[in-house]
Formats: sequence, C-alpha cells, structure tokens
Amino acid sequence: MGVFHNASKLWLVSVLLMLGLIITALLVGSVTTPINALWDANSPYYEVIWQLRFPRIINALMVGACLSLAGLLIQNLVKNPLADPYLLGVSGGAAAVQLLVIVTGLSLAPLMLFLFGFVGSLLAALLLLKLSYHGELRPNKITLNGVVLAFGFAAFISFVLATASGQQVKSMMFWLMGDLSFAQFNWLMPILLLIMMLLLMKKARALDLLARGDLFAQKSGVNTKQLNLQSFVMTALLTSMAVAQAGTIGFVGLIIPHMVRLLVGYQHKHLIPMSMVVGAGFLLLADTLARTVMNPIQLPVGIFTAMIGVPVFLWLNRKL
Amino acid sequence: MISLKKASIFQESAVLIRNLDVEFNPGEFWGIIGKNGVGKSTLLNVLAGMSNHYEGEIQIDGQPLNQINHRVRAQKISYLLQEQEPCLAFLVEEAIGMGRFPWLTTKSEDIDITGEVMNQCQINHLQGRSILKLSGGERRKVEIGTCLAQQSGHLLLDEPLNHLDVVYQKHIMQVFKQYSQRNAVIMVCHDIEAVKKYCSHVLMLLGNDCYLSGTSATILTETNLNKLFDDSSQLN
Repeated sequence: MGVFHNASKLWLVSVLLMLGLIITALLVGSVTTPINALWDANSPYYEVIWQLRFPRIINALMVGACLSLAGLLIQNLVKNPLADPYLLGVSGGAAAVQLLVIVTGLSLAPLMLFLFGFVGSLLAALLLLKLSYHGELRPNKITLNGVVLAFGFAAFISFVLATASGQQVKSMMFWLMGDLSFAQFNWLMPILLLIMMLLLMKKARALDLLARGDLFAQKSGVNTKQLNLQSFVMTALLTSMAVAQAGTIGFVGLIIPHMVRLLVGYQHKHLIPMSMVVGAGFLLLADTLARTVMNPIQLPVGIFTAMIGVPVFLWLNRKL
Repeated sequence: MISLKKASIFQESAVLIRNLDVEFNPGEFWGIIGKNGVGKSTLLNVLAGMSNHYEGEIQIDGQPLNQINHRVRAQKISYLLQEQEPCLAFLVEEAIGMGRFPWLTTKSEDIDITGEVMNQCQINHLQGRSILKLSGGERRKVEIGTCLAQQSGHLLLDEPLNHLDVVYQKHIMQVFKQYSQRNAVIMVCHDIEAVKKYCSHVLMLLGNDCYLSGTSATILTETNLNKLFDDSSQLN
C-alpha cells in the first residue's frame, strides 16, 4: 500500500468524489442549471442534462478508464516509466484513417467513424507487433519500434494537415488534441472494458511478478511470453477504443498509473480498479473544465489533462 | 531429482558444455565451479527452464524439462538470479510473498510462510520497507528469502554470497545446507573455501567440453584445482 493504508477508506473517498464530480458535470455547461433539473422532467434543462451532458460524461469516464488502464499495462510491459499507451502507434493509425475519412469528405455515422478509427489503430498495433515479435515480445524492441513508427505517422498526419483546407484543419486539430464533443455513446466500449478488467484482475498476481522483471517472473512460474503478448493486445484494444472515441488525449495514460501507484502501492489487485476510477474521474474533470472555462467556446480536453496533470504529478512525485 | 543425460548447453549457437551426464539428488548440496564464461550460469538458466538452448535429455523428477508447464516447474525449481533486474518499489514482505506464486495456497498460509522465511533470513526488521531503498546486501537477502518461500524441491543459486557480509555468508550457507537435507541444492560459487566447507558434491567445469563431477572429496583435489586455475594447462 502507498499513502493509503486502508483500502476501504480510499474507496469511500473515491466514490464520494466521483459522485460529486458527476453531479457537478451534469449541472454545469454553457448554461448552469438548477439542481432540481436533474429529476424534474418539466424543467427546460432536463433534456440538456440527460440527452447531451450525460452521454458525454459517460464517454469521458470510459475513455479515461481505458487510457489509464492501458498506460498501466504498457508501463509494466516495457518497464519504462515514460511509456504511454500511444507508444503502440495506435493513435497514429487511428489518426491516419480518420483524417483520411474527414479529408475525403465522406460523412459517416458516428458508430462507423468509431469503427474506422478502431480498425485503423488496431492495424497500427499489429504492424508494431509484427516488427517487434521474434519468437517472443521484447520490451526494448517495442519501445524503439513504437517511437520510430509514431514519427512516421506524425509525418503522414502533418502532410494531410498541410494540404487540407482551413475548415478541415480546425476539426482535425480538435481531434488530434483530443475531444469528447463528437463522441457518441455505444455499448461496445463498456462491455469490452468490463471484460478486460475481469481478465486482468485474474492476472493481477502474475502482473505483479512481471513488474519485478521478465526473468524474475519467468523463474517464478509466470508464462511471460504469453503474458507479455496478452498485455500488448489488451493495451492495443483499450487504446484503440479510447482513440476511436475521443482522439488523442495525452497525459492520462502516462500520469494516472504513476499517481495511483503513489496512492495504493504496486500490487495490481489494487492498481487495476483504482487506475480505472482515477483515470475516469480525472478525464471527466478535465472535460468539464474544457467545456465551461471559456464558455461558450469549447476547448480541446487535452489542454486540461496536461494543465491539471502536470502540476499534480510533479507535486506528488516531490512529496514521496 | 534433476538428471542430465548427454546434455549439451548452448549460448546463442556456440556450445558451452558438451555431453554432460550428471544427477542432482535430494540430500545433495552441489557446488558448480569454473572460470568466468565457462557456462555455469547458462547451465542454471537451462535447468530453471529460462532457456531452451540445449540438446540431449534433461529431466526434473522423471519428467522431461521442456514438457513441464511454467507453474509446475516453479513448484519444483526455485532460482536465485545472479543480479537483480530493475523493478518497481514493492515492499519487502510483498516481494517475498511473490515466491508463493506457483502454489495455490491460501493467503494466510502464504503470510505464515513469508513470516517464517523472514525469520530464517534474519530480515524481520526490513518489514514495511521498499525494496528499492535497501542496500545491495539487504536486497540480496530479500531475493534469497523469495526463493526459500517458493518451497520448491530443488534450489538453484547463482553466486548467492554476492553483496553479503562474512557473518551472514556463514549463516545463509547453514540455511542452504539445511535445505539440502531434503532437497537438491545447486550453487554456482567462486568461493572455493565455501564450496569445500559446505558442499557435498562438486561439478567442475573446465571448458573445452571438459568437466569433472563427484563428491567434494574426490573432485576438490590439489591436482584438479590446479587444472582449473592454471592458464597454461588444457585438458583433452
């Protein structure tokens, strides 16, 4: 255990904070609504709250949970504290495909756009896997290949941006900095997220051993080849979902796992659920700020994940 | 019992040890000695199932090594690595508890065993500390504790005395000696005096595909030790 020695106390605090955050997020926005609008169906704001804000809040929570869980896995896989989920090149893959869709002017249903992004990012992850897999997955290969591939995708994205028209550039920029305002709720995401959480909880102890090093895990009876591959696939799936839904939102996957380690220690049975909760709450907070601070202008959420995440993390890291 | 029949051990594609025939039995405390790079650690890596670069037959308790699944293998063999890998800041008791991974025992049993091991290794006072904030020697004690908590039938030790002070070296060798009464203990060690004092059997790797194995008394003769340490002499 880290700062909190009492797991149930930490959970109580988290759940209360989360509830407060959700209620606040439901009530604020381009108009601040009175609290009775939450349950009063006759209130003019009832629809705004439940049709517009509520789905967006759910999306923010889920994307945040996906990203921080993915960050936790990838940092454990490549044994590098600087690793974030986008290391797998999935954001580049999704960006490439979705930008092409935007540029060609194809207007797709939101679920189709989500699926296009999802497939694009999975293809990128597959490419990285193909490049880094030689009988087994080598962490330092993933890191190097991932960083280099990301440069390749970035060049492609810059090329598309440089040649696109002004209006297109604006909507693309929003997407590249992460934006939840286009996200549509779909059931695929919560279901996949839940399944992956349960699978990972079953592997919690093996993941602890993997954190002690691949050799250590292997000699202690973990099938590291299999577990590394599973970690890779799960990271790719989780990140792909988040990217397809909300674009490239930085800092969540990088910073939240570190914050949670400081809070609850290094055992994955605590890290997995707590990362999801803190990641979800963090992104909801950032998104709520993004749509209220410069009201009525909506800002990209990525600005706020960095603006909150950086100082909070630096402070935590100094303290411990 | 760990038995090797006509086993050849490779590193990359180069053969380090050729046609090794040896049996490690419970009740025996083996010392493996030899110069740097002769294949001592590579041999332990193979026996621990970490590398499959070998030919010939290696059996653990009558089962071919490459057909045993990971968890069962770890129930049979625990392995003290020569150097620790960089890792995250687990607590001492969490780290030792990781040795229980291969066993599906209850949490309270695991806690009991962890406690016993910490007593045995004289590291009770380190409880609650992060393994990253320990000295090299303390960290080594935790690693040894992790291996003991694994309660496997065979114990492989790669230079266990590294980083340890002289008093503790004596203590821990007694612990290993005791462990070897019911299990096979195989130790790679550069301290010939310690091997002489504690080991019942010795495997001397001379390079050039040559080795000697047998009881300590028959192997650790002056002639053999001269062969091992004399640069000019080479066995055919």
